[in-house]
Amino acid sequence: MTREPPHDGPAIRLQGVGFGWPGHPPAVEDVSLEVERGESLAIIGPNGGGKSTLLRLILGELTPDTGRVEVLGMPPAQARKARLIGYLPQRSAANRNFPVTVRQTVEMAALVGLAPWRRASSEIRERVDLALERVQLTDLTHRPVGELSGGQFQRTLLARALAVDPPILILDEPTSALDPGAQEQLGQVLARLQEVEGLTLVIVSHDIRAIAAPRSGPDRRDALCDRVACLRRTLHFHDSPEGITPQVLAHVFEHDLSQVFGEVQVLARPLSTPDRER
Amino acid sequence: MQTLDYLFGPYATMRPAAAAALAVALLCGILSPLVVLRRMAFVGQGISHAAFGGVGVAAVLGLFAAGAGTGALLGAWGVVALFCIGAGLAIGALSRRDEIPEDTAIGVLLVASMALGFLLLQLQRGRAGSASISVEGFLFGQVATIGPPEAWLAWVVLGLTLAALWWIRRPLLFWAFDEPMAESLGIRGGAIQSGLMVILAVTVVVTMQLAGVILATAMIVLPGAAALQVARRSSSVLVASVGFGVAGVVVGLILSFETDWQPGPNIALTYVGLFGAARIWNVLRR
Repeated sequence: MTREPPHDGPAIRLQGVGFGWPGHPPAVEDVSLEVERGESLAIIGPNGGGKSTLLRLILGELTPDTGRVEVLGMPPAQARKARLIGYLPQRSAANRNFPVTVRQTVEMAALVGLAPWRRASSEIRERVDLALERVQLTDLTHRPVGELSGGQFQRTLLARALAVDPPILILDEPTSALDPGAQEQLGQVLARLQEVEGLTLVIVSHDIRAIAAPRSGPDRRDALCDRVACLRRTLHFHDSPEGITPQVLAHVFEHDLSQVFGEVQVLARPLSTPDRER
Repeated sequence: MQTLDYLFGPYATMRPAAAAALAVALLCGILSPLVVLRRMAFVGQGISHAAFGGVGVAAVLGLFAAGAGTGALLGAWGVVALFCIGAGLAIGALSRRDEIPEDTAIGVLLVASMALGFLLLQLQRGRAGSASISVEGFLFGQVATIGPPEAWLAWVVLGLTLAALWWIRRPLLFWAFDEPMAESLGIRGGAIQSGLMVILAVTVVVTMQLAGVILATAMIVLPGAAALQVARRSSSVLVASVGFGVAGVVVGLILSFETDWQPGPNIALTYVGLFGAARIWNVLRR
């Protein structure tokens, strides 16, 4: 269902990547990791720890000082241009006062590059309809964006990122501005995108509750991610979520979080291909 | 009623003005929602004041002298247009660089142009034998000086602007709605902004003939502002904006014809009234 170019190997590969702004200590240092196709990776860490920088390196907005970044086997900027990476930024610059509907917002991305004299083909229209369906916004297709709740607007922007059918989706703090109900709904949408459609997801969060889950009790649920990477300039952890202990979190966040998260344990979800290499 | 005389009487002296006004109203109506949503009202003000600098330069060059002919007149408006386009591009370039805040850049340009324009007009007046140019006419508009060449110019500008806007309508909408995401998907934001500045500058030039330098902004801002009060979808906003634009010009011109007063303030006040009504309607219907 998702478009993919012929390519063996991981969806995203970072080898020894380092980057720093001139005159400042490095924002990220010696980061090596791979994200397999169809995997979901959560990147957590404290603010200022380099998470957004790492995302920008994966998106090709920044060029690493050391090491290399590959997305589907090609330079990230090239992958971005080929519309293989969908991106949901942390803060959208979109003007919610604009008199556009949900559908028009999603269409904007689908129509990029179309010659001005051409009408939108039925293929494009179907892709837009499908994107809206994937985020559960079909009922609100013709609602002006100014009348949407925060969660609905977030899902509209997600549909826009999906409108070009990318095999990889990158989300920067997708839930931080949402209330718990909206967070739950977005989590369901993302889980379905990964499980059913095989999308590769990379989610950045400074709130580990976005990926953590209570171990028992009425709120018990599965975590969203196959693997977690803990980033504070360097990679302090990169493995399945069950390995995250309060000690790991204390080291990454440089703060004893056990008072807050003592009862929390990130639950592991079985990976779909057990014999994939690590 | 003087209006009927002006338009349909034996000499129909005001028909070119009415024709030009219609073109200007359509042009401003279409552009106005974008100007309001992109917060370009002050940019428009800066460009229209830059026009006054252009007027001063054209006057010193003798292009506005009585009896100078149609060629000189078009040359004069060409100089004014160059000033406006230059101001628009300068504002765009400075604001993209982030060193000087956009409103500061506009403030500087606006003040410099007005002062320069006025000084040059004084200089021109000082020369022996030169016909005096109506400063008030440039500041607040004058229908008497709008002849067939100006009316044709207004309609040509309308046609070219509509064609340009239609050509870039999709990337323009995306860029206006969400600039960073549009640029990340390959839309050339710098080119669109420059193009928009040129369109705005040319719109200001044809609008200022009718409403004057000081009040041209009214025509560029208020129809869209009123439309956004009453409509929530892009198609209805455009229709409402053009509707308000034309209504304001029709009423304002009729007032101007009947009273023989300057058109600019009449049109501007009509727009303010329309905006007020739209706002009240919006508040009441909630």
